[in-house]
Amino acid sequence: MAETVKGFKIDPKKLRIYGLVGSVVGIYLAYILNSVTGTNIFSFVGALAALFSVVWGANAVRRVCAYGIGTGVPSIGMLSLGMGVVAVLFGLSIAEQMGIGLLGVIIALVYSLIFGYVVGLIANRVMGFNIPVMEEGLTDLSGAGTLAILGWSFAISGSLGYADIVHSVINTGFLAIIFICGGLAILHPFNANLGPDETQDRTLINGVMVGGLSTVATGVCALMTLGLAAGMVQIVVGFAVWYYFFVWFFRLAKRDASAVVGTGLLPPTVQ
Amino acid sequence: MDAFGMGLVAAMGALATVAGASEDIDSDIGSQSNPNSQVQLAAQVGNPHRIYNKAIAGEPPSNALWCTTAAIMAYVLIEGYHMPLLFAAAAGASLAALFDGVMSVSAYLGRNASQARFNQWIYLDIIRYTTPSIMAHVWITSFCIVLIAIMQVYILTPHHPFPIPVIALVWGLTVGAIGSSVGDIHYGGEREFQWRLFGQGLNTMLSGQIVRKAEAGLRNSIDNAWFCAKFGGPATGMGFGLTVFLDNWRTTVFDPITQAGAAIAMGVFFVIVMNLYNFYCEVSARRKYGPYPGYKGDIAA
Repeated sequence: MAETVKGFKIDPKKLRIYGLVGSVVGIYLAYILNSVTGTNIFSFVGALAALFSVVWGANAVRRVCAYGIGTGVPSIGMLSLGMGVVAVLFGLSIAEQMGIGLLGVIIALVYSLIFGYVVGLIANRVMGFNIPVMEEGLTDLSGAGTLAILGWSFAISGSLGYADIVHSVINTGFLAIIFICGGLAILHPFNANLGPDETQDRTLINGVMVGGLSTVATGVCALMTLGLAAGMVQIVVGFAVWYYFFVWFFRLAKRDASAVVGTGLLPPTVQ
Repeated sequence: MDAFGMGLVAAMGALATVAGASEDIDSDIGSQSNPNSQVQLAAQVGNPHRIYNKAIAGEPPSNALWCTTAAIMAYVLIEGYHMPLLFAAAAGASLAALFDGVMSVSAYLGRNASQARFNQWIYLDIIRYTTPSIMAHVWITSFCIVLIAIMQVYILTPHHPFPIPVIALVWGLTVGAIGSSVGDIHYGGEREFQWRLFGQGLNTMLSGQIVRKAEAGLRNSIDNAWFCAKFGGPATGMGFGLTVFLDNWRTTVFDPITQAGAAIAMGVFFVIVMNLYNFYCEVSARRKYGPYPGYKGDIAA
């Protein structure tokens, strides 16, 4: 195969910064764009912001689960989004009660990082997992889950207000799809690429691809909460993200596989 | 209790039976869940294969995803655009099937690419003809589950207070859990290890030594669907259908508010009867087919 595919390798610390900054800036950018233009058409930027945290979370799953947690991959992804739901509701409601609604994102993030660290401590010290990166990993996962939920919640509600999010995300039950689809975006990449020859770029590209699917799903929800135009924009953007990264993922799989064949018998050495 | 309510409960039971059966066959075609560990292990112990490797987070979360996806689409179409209920459910199931197709293909590509050192190839023809059958079964499962949720929220009285996506999430988790514990045993225990001695259980020595060759040619995942549709799928369907039917039956016959005690007592009665029946089944199997040739006695842990 003469085809060269763009691959990459990123340090986890850098990736954490990209995820944190990208998501927080993206969520606020979406909020500012919506407020300045007086529409809700830019809500899709919130969904794109969530993709940064998905990559961050997927890398954290990759690091923690590389210690041999095979069947625990789905559980840790669900745990991430579960911590995220608690942190988001806590952060937004506290901010609303204190009259600083806009800072809800930061409060939720700080709370989730502390929460994740404590859960990591309990997992390592009390339950005896003895995984060196557990505290760090769960702190990352909790933060990533929180920002992913915030981003996609913004994409559905078009607002950062606690009352708006409760009205259009929780009362409608759309939190269910954010929870499960967002959870899959964080856990599926490592789960789907599990094996001794797993590579970071392939796993993370898979994460963005599933994030694109989640954006399509939140776009469908936005068709009802934000109207036809905002929803359709989000679906189209989600589809574009999915398509681009799916093609990239396929190329990376071709690069890494021992052989990709149209059809055939078992490999010659073992027939 | 009214006849209409009882009819709805029966319909929900029937839908659940179909959903359970298709859910199990879907996971068997893709080798998802418990049997997946053996498919994954096979290449690592020197047995590359042509069996689909659909590793999507275990059955409960993945089925929760399909059902919730279908439910949000149906909910948006019903509440936001006033579409007919059946059309909305069908449209939702179609979206869920597409999502499933993407996830399945990415899992097959990813898992096999990550086993390059064991010479596990990626066969594109397997993706082409197996993925559509997986998607078709997921369509059936999510369509049935969304219809159950729609019935609970819009038709059955008293209406369920939760929104459809949340109910679908819970039913999806349930059907996945039941499929994982009922039907997968049939696939993992009977189909992947056909030549071991009956009643032996799975010896650690046999891990990864799955059957890779079929009656003619190499075994593929469609062959597994053919096998599992005979017993594993229907058994799962019966398990899930009975769960839905009996649980709703007792709260339809006895009013959950005024006759709560009777409804709970009926539930306890069902649990006791099923335990006794399970016990009978096991004793009867041991009597008919035992003592098992490969069984060396219980080993203390």
